[in-house]
Amino acid sequence: MRPAAAAVLFVLGQAAPAQQITIGPQAVLASYREVVSGLRYAGFGFGGAMSVRFHKLSVDGVVTRVKLDTADGSAATQSVTATQFDAWVGYDVAPYASLEVGVIRRTADPELDAQSVGAVRLGARSFYEIGPGATILFRANYLAAPRFSGGGRAPFSLDLGLGLDVRLAGRLHGTAAYAFQRINRKTNPGGAGEIDAPIQETVGRVGLALAF
Amino acid sequence: MTSLRRLVVALLAGFVAPATALAQTVQNPTLRRAQQAYDNLEYRQVLTLAQAALRERLTGPERARAYELLGFTYGAMDSILKAVDAFKQLVLIDPERQLDPNRVSPKAYSAFDVALRQVLLVRQLRVDSTSFVGGQGAVPIRFTVTQPARVVTRAVGSEGRFLIDSSAWNGQVNLTWPARLANGDPVPAGSYTVVVDARLGQNAFAASQPVRVSHGRVDTLAHLTSLPGYEYLPETEVPPQSWRPLGLAFLYTGGAVVGTVGLESSSLGSGSKRELAVVGGAALVTGLVMTLRKPAPRPAAANILYNRLLRDQIARRNQEIAKENVARRQQVQLTVVPLPKPGAAGVR
Repeated sequence: MRPAAAAVLFVLGQAAPAQQITIGPQAVLASYREVVSGLRYAGFGFGGAMSVRFHKLSVDGVVTRVKLDTADGSAATQSVTATQFDAWVGYDVAPYASLEVGVIRRTADPELDAQSVGAVRLGARSFYEIGPGATILFRANYLAAPRFSGGGRAPFSLDLGLGLDVRLAGRLHGTAAYAFQRINRKTNPGGAGEIDAPIQETVGRVGLALAF
Repeated sequence: MTSLRRLVVALLAGFVAPATALAQTVQNPTLRRAQQAYDNLEYRQVLTLAQAALRERLTGPERARAYELLGFTYGAMDSILKAVDAFKQLVLIDPERQLDPNRVSPKAYSAFDVALRQVLLVRQLRVDSTSFVGGQGAVPIRFTVTQPARVVTRAVGSEGRFLIDSSAWNGQVNLTWPARLANGDPVPAGSYTVVVDARLGQNAFAASQPVRVSHGRVDTLAHLTSLPGYEYLPETEVPPQSWRPLGLAFLYTGGAVVGTVGLESSSLGSGSKRELAVVGGAALVTGLVMTLRKPAPRPAAANILYNRLLRDQIARRNQEIAKENVARRQQVQLTVVPLPKPGAAGVR
């Protein structure tokens, strides 16, 4: 662990004007629906986000852990703890736009109470500095080659995002991010024919970050 | 003493001084009597007394004055040839002697002029004070030769003899001396005498003027920090306040709202959108704050380019100055000053 920490400190210490690293904790709000409207969860959790920018190249990573309780009127009987990892690698193709690829990996505990998902992200994002130290972001990702713990396929899956990064004072930044995910999952239980089992998740993250 | 009295005394001193000086230079009594006779227009008496004075023991100036009186008197008596002879003797004694055409009779003046052209003289040798970078200037030398003659001009000093010019001249002559050695280096510092040697057949005449040559360092040029008439421009500019931040916040948030509403599954129902409300609200508030805030200065590309060009120009000019200063540090500033003549030129 020590060499990794030393490597992180080294990278942070070497940050040049052309590169910026932000890292910080986030509070997470999430709601999750699956298969039918009656199967819905909502919850609160924590996470962390890290972003590295080097000239036109950027790398973002987010880890969240949310305890999803059954919502009012939900048919679900048990809370689920969802752990999600998102990562993007972007390349600026214009002063206000970049193309990005990434991955998403969400696991649920207990495993069978909600779907665990893994997919590749392909998309683009637009960002704009609306003021000194304030950047707003909008992204749209296609989730390709999704895998589900309960099986099935998803020919159409999208992930939309809204992000905000505001420099509050010196190196301290305030961050907020919203993500909406729609996965058109189809399953074929017992070989009787495909049925729709869509998944829909919204996540809101608010936090602080230090920039180097 | 009032200032008016001082002025009167000064004016009187100005009028009396030349007469007093003349009386002091003429000590010989016979010559004094000749002078008085000339003042009284007693020309016969002048001739007798002046010739008598010339047979006596006279100083150089007295002898010159005696011939001058004879010249004026012969001129007044229309004996032009004799006047010319007398003036020839005068200029041989005092080659620098000049007559004021406004104060002497035209006959006497023309006789003096004829006398000058009949005697080989180098007159009015002048070396001007000057200062120049060695190799980039010259010392002006001018003199008058009264007859066509071969004239050799040299600078003679303890460091050597330097030929300045050797030509046939007549009348006013203007020369320049670059004060350089054969290898191009400036002549060593020290005292020199500029000697003008005129020769016509058996006649020869020389005039000289001592000068002092001193060496100094050539001033170097100061480096530039700015160019006259050009000033650096501010590299940032404050843009005008606009609704753009709030508009962009609305656009981006609107995109998220529309996308969320449009993509929501009908079978899953509509969610509470609290997450979108929190983040979208934060984005809109940020946009509003940024709209109301004074815009941050932004780089002014044109000014940055202008300043870069100006800096490049100054740097280029300073490189040239540095190069020129290197050359200047290897140069010598020559200063040439004429010195008082220790003795008058004379006939050889």
